[in-house]
Amino acid sequence: MKRLISLTVNGENHEVVVEPRTTLLEVLRDALGLTGAKEGCSLGNCGACTVLLDGKPVLSCLLLAVEAQGKEIVTIEGLAEGGKLHPLQEAFVEHGAVQCGFCIPGMILSAKALLDENPHPTEEEVKEAISGNLCRCTGYSNAVRAILAAKVKEEGER
Amino acid sequence: MEGLGYLLALPRFEYFSPKTVEEACSLLERYGREARLLAGGTDLLVAMKKGKEAPRYLIGIKALSDLDFIEYDGELLRIGALATLQSVADAPIIKEKFGLLATACKKVGTPQVRNMGTLVGNICNAGPSQDTVPSLLVLGARLKVVSSRGERIIPLEDFPRGPFKTALEDGEMVTEVQIPTPPPRSAGCYRWMTKRTEVDETLVGVAVLVVADPTHERCEEARIALCSVAPTPFRARRAEALLRGKGISEGLLEEAGRAAAEETRPRGRAEYRKLLTSILVKKALTEAWENLKGQEVVS
Repeated sequence: MKRLISLTVNGENHEVVVEPRTTLLEVLRDALGLTGAKEGCSLGNCGACTVLLDGKPVLSCLLLAVEAQGKEIVTIEGLAEGGKLHPLQEAFVEHGAVQCGFCIPGMILSAKALLDENPHPTEEEVKEAISGNLCRCTGYSNAVRAILAAKVKEEGER
Repeated sequence: MEGLGYLLALPRFEYFSPKTVEEACSLLERYGREARLLAGGTDLLVAMKKGKEAPRYLIGIKALSDLDFIEYDGELLRIGALATLQSVADAPIIKEKFGLLATACKKVGTPQVRNMGTLVGNICNAGPSQDTVPSLLVLGARLKVVSSRGERIIPLEDFPRGPFKTALEDGEMVTEVQIPTPPPRSAGCYRWMTKRTEVDETLVGVAVLVVADPTHERCEEARIALCSVAPTPFRARRAEALLRGKGISEGLLEEAGRAAAEETRPRGRAEYRKLLTSILVKKALTEAWENLKGQEVVS
């Protein structure tokens, strides 16, 4: 049975009609046109569908949309402000951390959750934080460097 | 809504979001085996996408916020059915007094999976390789089970009844795990080896808890539990018996490792898993014992 639900995505409220089996990933991509979150494996292994739910990285492919009501959802589209990239996004560009880009939205969101909670992570903590975001292009090194550099950059601009 | 086309979609089901445990139990009772409880979803929804499970009714329990707790009263640690694996791994009291449980929770899945999946869900999934179970077994954990008929306590050891089968009866749900404080002069740890896959599933998992006698010279009691090497996680009691009351030597720990390996019944890669078991048991016992000796020096 379809039902009307209300979701808060990137600070905006959206009313959408879903089935119980509709995942948050499907709503984000199909109903809201937010295609930053990707369907990789669809089984919770690859992390390409990662979004933030109340600040924590979760897998939108394994979350029923009906169960995301009342939560703050943040996708990669919610990071840039007024056309200006988030420091993490800038750092990924500057460090050449992106090749095909498929895993990057999820990886940046995992990194954002880490930096929000732990502003001065060690390299090990960064690796642990993105361990649920599989990348088949880059070997992770530049992504780790970018994340370690992003906080410094953010603070420098303050 | 017409989808863009997905690799894997969920099958259709009817969804309920009960507001109380009583309501959840009565739904479970009404729909019996056609219903499944949905907490974190990281096991159940995957099984449904793969076509291994097709419940007609899903009973989502995320709204039962009373079940989202981790409480310690100085004697008993209680972890509610909605506490996520990450919240258990991060809880200061668990890191301090139940370190082997924190270690095991952190081993499960990825950060995202741990933010969604619950400890109770991990236990109730009842797969042979559930990482949290060996630590809970050596800690002597019990489960609080509720139904419309009342509540009962099941020792965790009696809970798994075969791969993906539990002692739960129709209409029953696990609402919390209860874990007694480890005995004085004890130390434990969880060690494992994994397959090399995208989720690094555990090939052999070993939890031990060692209790020293008052002189710290002998092992008063040792508890050893294993996962991934039999249809369900289990206590290796013959290996435990070898250690009881003995002075610890490298030779004895090696013997205990071999004894534990003999108690396993691995399905695949049997020889390798047995070899790994003997090595990991010895390693975990050595580490726990050294940790205990360290405690002695400190105190």
